[in-house]
Amino acid sequence: MNPITPIIKGLGITFKHMFLKPVTLQYPTERPRVAARYRGLHGLKVSHDKAKCVACYLCPTVCPAKCITVEAAEDANHDKYATKYEIDMLRCIFCGYCVEACPVDALKMTGEFELANYSRKDFIYSKERLLEK
Amino acid sequence: MVNLTIDDKQVTAPKDSTIYDAAKLNGIKIPILCHDKKLKPFGACRMCLVEIEQMKGRQIPACTTPATEGMIIRTNTPDIIKARKLVLELLLLNHPLDCPVCDKGGDCDLQNLTYDYELNSNRFIDSKFQHEIDYNNPLIERDMNRCVLCGKCVRICDEIVSYGALTFIDRGIETKIGCDFEKPLDCEFCGSCVSVCPVGALLARPFKHKARFWALTKHNSVCGYCGTGCNLTLGVKDDKVLTTVYDENQGFHKGQLCVRGRFGYQFINSEKRLTTPLIRKNGRLTEATWDEALEIVAGRLKGGTAVAALATPRLTNEELSLFKKMMLENVGSKNYDHSAGYAHRALTEGFASSFGSSASSASIPDIQKSDLLLVIKTDSYETHPVIGFEINMGVKNKGIKLNILSDKRGKLSKLPGANTLVHIPGTEVAVINALCKSVIDQKLADPSVASLPGHAELIKALSDFTPETIAAVSGLTVEKINKLAADYAAAEKAMILFPTGLGYAGHAADLARAVANLAILTGKLGKEGCGVLCLSEKNNSQGAVDMGFYPQDGGDNALQILDACSAGTIKTLLIAGENPVTSYPDNAKVKAALDAVEFLIVSDLFMTETAELADVVLPACSFAEKEGTYTSTDRRVQHVKPAINKIGQSRSDFEIISSLIVKLGGTPPTTPAAQFSEITANTPGYEGMTYATLGNEGAFAPVSIQPVFVVPVAAQVPAAQGKLALVTGSVLYHNGTLSQHGEGPVHVCPEAYVEISRSDAGRSSIIDNDLVTVTSENGSLQLKAKLSIRIPEGVVFIPYHFPAAPVNMVWSGSAVTMVSLSK
Ligand code: SF4
Ligand code: SF4
Ligand code: SF4
Ligand code: SF4
Ligand code: SF4
Ligand code: FES
Repeated sequence: MNPITPIIKGLGITFKHMFLKPVTLQYPTERPRVAARYRGLHGLKVSHDKAKCVACYLCPTVCPAKCITVEAAEDANHDKYATKYEIDMLRCIFCGYCVEACPVDALKMTGEFELANYSRKDFIYSKERLLEK
Repeated sequence: MVNLTIDDKQVTAPKDSTIYDAAKLNGIKIPILCHDKKLKPFGACRMCLVEIEQMKGRQIPACTTPATEGMIIRTNTPDIIKARKLVLELLLLNHPLDCPVCDKGGDCDLQNLTYDYELNSNRFIDSKFQHEIDYNNPLIERDMNRCVLCGKCVRICDEIVSYGALTFIDRGIETKIGCDFEKPLDCEFCGSCVSVCPVGALLARPFKHKARFWALTKHNSVCGYCGTGCNLTLGVKDDKVLTTVYDENQGFHKGQLCVRGRFGYQFINSEKRLTTPLIRKNGRLTEATWDEALEIVAGRLKGGTAVAALATPRLTNEELSLFKKMMLENVGSKNYDHSAGYAHRALTEGFASSFGSSASSASIPDIQKSDLLLVIKTDSYETHPVIGFEINMGVKNKGIKLNILSDKRGKLSKLPGANTLVHIPGTEVAVINALCKSVIDQKLADPSVASLPGHAELIKALSDFTPETIAAVSGLTVEKINKLAADYAAAEKAMILFPTGLGYAGHAADLARAVANLAILTGKLGKEGCGVLCLSEKNNSQGAVDMGFYPQDGGDNALQILDACSAGTIKTLLIAGENPVTSYPDNAKVKAALDAVEFLIVSDLFMTETAELADVVLPACSFAEKEGTYTSTDRRVQHVKPAINKIGQSRSDFEIISSLIVKLGGTPPTTPAAQFSEITANTPGYEGMTYATLGNEGAFAPVSIQPVFVVPVAAQVPAAQGKLALVTGSVLYHNGTLSQHGEGPVHVCPEAYVEISRSDAGRSSIIDNDLVTVTSENGSLQLKAKLSIRIPEGVVFIPYHFPAAPVNMVWSGSAVTMVSLSK
């Protein structure tokens, strides 16, 4: 084969792409479209102004990274609630088992993926930070 | 033995077994829900259905049907599985299914069976139960919505605990478990019902929502309260003891515990634990380093005979023996003692002289093998509740005759057929002498004992104790004394039990000698189900005696040590774990002594009333944080290992004493194990034991006895017109002063009280909860009144455990103190 032909073909593809829609996302000015099933930052669902979580300890049990800490207590109506609900995002592998394990559908994974931070302790998400806004 | 076929397997089983037992013995699993091996068969749930060929395939419960010769049994045919699924579906129909918030989740029989039988849906529809939940007490929550009506709680409370707090109420679908008149639960809170409940209907509130069952690490240990030495399992998470876990296979008591053992563990992780050494500077206790504190203490210990030590019998054998060694070899003082110097005298003086061995000749397992029990003081139930359960079961299941000699009635008196002889306080030794006399007069004595040393002297001394004379002194009748003597002598196997402890000043050497004489006279010794069992108070009281941690060869005893402190001859006092200010008799004298002593060193878990007076306070650690052995009241030597790390900077007394020995120029053993091998080499009965051979269950240190008769001295009871006889003792919920730091015991019994008979109360128009002043020659004390029918006229009872109202303000240390009451 003529050694020039592949170069011409290649340049042809390059030339064609000059007229196609660009693939690269100009992050952060451009935002990605996050799929509904994307497994990003966790969110604690709220219902009747209260976190749905009943502190059943199933998500810390199932979590393969052992990064969830739950502490439960009894409220004034003798109901069980989580006094402490923490996820260490540095250890989380975003497998979603916690969501799957939850018997009361209190936990979800959101599209939030911008989790960078400056210090390690800021990666420990407390209950307040995780509560669905 | 019977031969039968289960699931095509030829098996044999003992004659008295049920089909369930036979299957279990041969490794075939039949599901159960309402059956418990400790309880009588009941057959409430029908989970254990099996088919029997001879009965034309009819389905019958395995847990109630006796196994008979030649039975052909199938345990898992499709029909049986279908039937079991139906049982479960019906149970789940009204069940709230709130597993996520139920603390039983993960350890729940209903949950496990539902999982095993793959029940994902229910064919039936009905509404859920709407029973009110009982949150009224701080220890046990009763949620009858979750109940599966297995009846285990009802049965254990009746059959073993003998309290009878719970029963079935209403009929049919309305049936539920409740207390009398549907009142909130108010019982002795032993938690036995909680431990056997297969579902989350009965739960321990102190553990509520703390952790999931599977997240707990389970550590075998030994209860740190009384001398029964129950085994228990500590549930630990994140280095904290969160609960005690029930294990039906544990110990002689099969996992049964009393309120203290089950709910009194909170002292271990209490916020109030001491975490750093403290040194008194300018009159205030200030934090210091261990080095500083130990340096000062070691300097003060170089005082020879001017140094004395008091230790609590809650220390391990290793600690006590090392402590003694330090006192003798490194300090050069023979002044060391425990338990106020009298709580152990029944053993160190009484049994030592009568039996030639300072240990009891009977063991706890003997109780159920006996035919007749003679219990001195109904308090035995309060001091040693799990031994009380053994008595209950013996009386109820085996028909053991129960005789009680006591200054008041109590729970034991309510057992079926219990014969309670209520005598005037302080006359117990005289009454037992009268029993001996009666045995001799009725010619019931074992003829072979006439040759034993001391026989003639005893016969002579007993002439003053004819049933007639003693009946008059003790308030009993001649017939009752003679009948008890005859019954005791006639029983093939008979056993005597009596409690000792700080609250039982009268239960010392002479009482031990008197009961020993009775046992020797009638030959009730050295056989199974016979003998005398002295119930030692603390978890290692017997160990303290075995280690010889009491004055010998001229050392001062505890009360002499305190006198010497006042007199100034003892200049340094080292107290490990004892709390004399609250627990020793005669508060004013104890305080004066501790104020007078030049230098006071206290090692304890808490800032006790005694530690507050100290010059140096050393933070010690609890049984859950150290290794060592404890010896129970019947000489079971049991090994404990650390379940959690030491709290704060606390150190075990073993480490503290070791460091002091180093500072005093000696060489301590490297580990508790090394010290234990020294113990086994020097302590009779402990030969050949090692931590490894002790295992989880421990081992008995055998007791060999050489009976001789010793004449006991019967104390004269001071008669005082118009005064009441004050007796002290223990209450069920407490043991020593340590239980003050256990949430459970304190919730149920928060403060001291004075228990008065209704007639005495009526005379001074005192009603329940009135504040009354109790006055004796020693001082006076204000307490809440508690009227009770168990107390005879002329007697008042005050428990001793409480620092806020220490009974020792009025109690002199004699068996009976005369007091007057005013409103
Ligand atoms: S997503 Fe996975 S790793 Fe992350 S918290 Fe949930 S279970 Fe744990
Ligand atoms: S599984 Fe759900 S209810 Fe249970 S602790 Fe986790 S978030 Fe809460
Ligand atoms: S706690 Fe003990 S006494 Fe109370 S109901 Fe339960 S078993 Fe009976
Ligand atoms: S409360 Fe528990 S132990 Fe009692 S009957 Fe109900 S399920 Fe059985
Ligand atoms: S206090 Fe005594 S009877 Fe109660 S559980 Fe502990 S050792 Fe057993
Ligand atoms: S276990 Fe046999 S009927 Fe319940």
